Amino acid sequence: MTILRPVLAFFVYAVAAIAAQNAIFTRALGVSRLVKIVDDGSVELLKFGVLLTSVQFLSSLLGYFANRLLAGFSFSYKAAFQPLVLVLCSVVAFFVVLLIVALLGGKIAAKDYVELLPMATFNCCVLGTLLLTTLGGYTLAQTLAFSLGSSVGYVLAVLLVNEGQRKIQNRNLPATFRGLPVTLVYIGILALAIYGFTGHTPAI
Amino acid sequence: MKQERSLYYAENMDRLMHRDRFFFNNPVFMQGLGLAPIVVAATNLNNALVLGFAVLLLLTPTRVLAALLSRGNYLRFRGVTYALTAAVLYIGVWFAANALFGVGIQAVGLYLPLLVVEPIIIKRYERPQKERVPTALRKGLITTCGFLLALFLVAALRELLGAGSLFGHPVTVRPALPMAQLTCGGFVLIGILAAFWRWIRNLFKRVVSMEANAK
Repeated sequence: MTILRPVLAFFVYAVAAIAAQNAIFTRALGVSRLVKIVDDGSVELLKFGVLLTSVQFLSSLLGYFANRLLAGFSFSYKAAFQPLVLVLCSVVAFFVVLLIVALLGGKIAAKDYVELLPMATFNCCVLGTLLLTTLGGYTLAQTLAFSLGSSVGYVLAVLLVNEGQRKIQNRNLPATFRGLPVTLVYIGILALAIYGFTGHTPAI
Repeated sequence: MKQERSLYYAENMDRLMHRDRFFFNNPVFMQGLGLAPIVVAATNLNNALVLGFAVLLLLTPTRVLAALLSRGNYLRFRGVTYALTAAVLYIGVWFAANALFGVGIQAVGLYLPLLVVEPIIIKRYERPQKERVPTALRKGLITTCGFLLALFLVAALRELLGAGSLFGHPVTVRPALPMAQLTCGGFVLIGILAAFWRWIRNLFKRVVSMEANAK
C-alpha cells in the first residue's frame, strides 16, 4: 500500500492534467500556438509532441529544484524573478534535448527536430505548467506527473482540433467564419464539454 | 469616401491589409496571437488594465532589444534570445505593475508572467529574416495598439455580458450571458468577434473596389 499510494497520486495528477485541467480547454495555455499549428498543417505532430513532452518534463524537473533553492531566500519580490528562473530552466532543457537529438538522430532527422524545438520550448503550455506547479507548491512526483500529463493533454488537444478541422472547414460554412473564427468556436465548445464534466473553472 | 482616398486604398490594398496591425491585420482577431490572456484573464476591464499595462511596457522593448541582440545569432537560437530578453524586462514590468495596481495584479494570476513566452511578444524569432531596430520599434508599437484594442473590446464585452457591469459598476439589472465570463465563453466570443472582423474587412475591400471601379 505504501508503494501504491505514490503511484496512484502520480496517476491522478497526470490524468487530471490531461483531462479535467487540460492546458488548452481549461486554461487556454498555448492556444495561439495550437491555432498556428492547425492552420499551418506542415508541422509534424508526432515530432512536436515528443519534443514538447521532453522539454516539459526536463524543465519541470529543473524548475522544481530551482524553486527549492529559491525557497531558501526570503526576499519578498520573488514573483518578479520567477519567470526568468523558469525560462532559464526551459533554456537548459532546450539545450539538453538539442544535444540528445544531435547524438541520437542522424543529420537529417536532427535537422527536422531542431526546426520544431524552439516552438516546443518557448510555449505558454511549458511555462504555464511550470508556474502552476510552482504556485501550487507541488511535490516532485506531483510536479513530474502534472507536467507529463499537461504535455500529453496539449498534444491530444492539438490532435483533436486538427481532426475537427476536416469537419468544420467545409463549404457550407459562411466565408467569414472559416479559419481562425470557427477553430476558436470549436475549441470553445470542447472547453464547454470539459467544464460540464468538471463543473468548475480551475483557478488562474 | 473621397476619390483620391479610395483610389489610394484600392492600389495599396494588399499592403494595407498586411501591414495595418491595428485593425485590418489585428494580431488577435486576424492572426490569433495573444489569445491565452484574453480568453482566460480578460474577463473584466480592471484585469484588462493590468494586462494592457504589462503588454505596453513589455512588447516593444522586447522586440527592439531582441532585434538588437540577435544580430549575430543563429536562427534556431533566436527563440532563446527573445524569451530571455522578455523575462529580464518582465522584472521591471512587474515592479511597475505592482506599484500601480498593488494586489490587483493577482487577479490575472499566471497570465501576467506568462506574457514572457506569449507569441504576441516573442513570435518574431520564427522568421528567418533579421529585423532592423527601427522596424522592430514601429511594428512593436503598432502591434501593441492592435492588441490593446482587442483586449479592451473583449474585456468590456465580457464584463457587460457576463456580469452586467463595466469597471465593476453595475450597468444592467442581470447579466445577459454569464457564460461570457468562462474560458469556453471567451473562446466562442473571440471566435465570433474574429468572424465579425473579417466581415468588416471584406466589406471595406468591396466598397473600395466598387468606388475605385466607378471612377
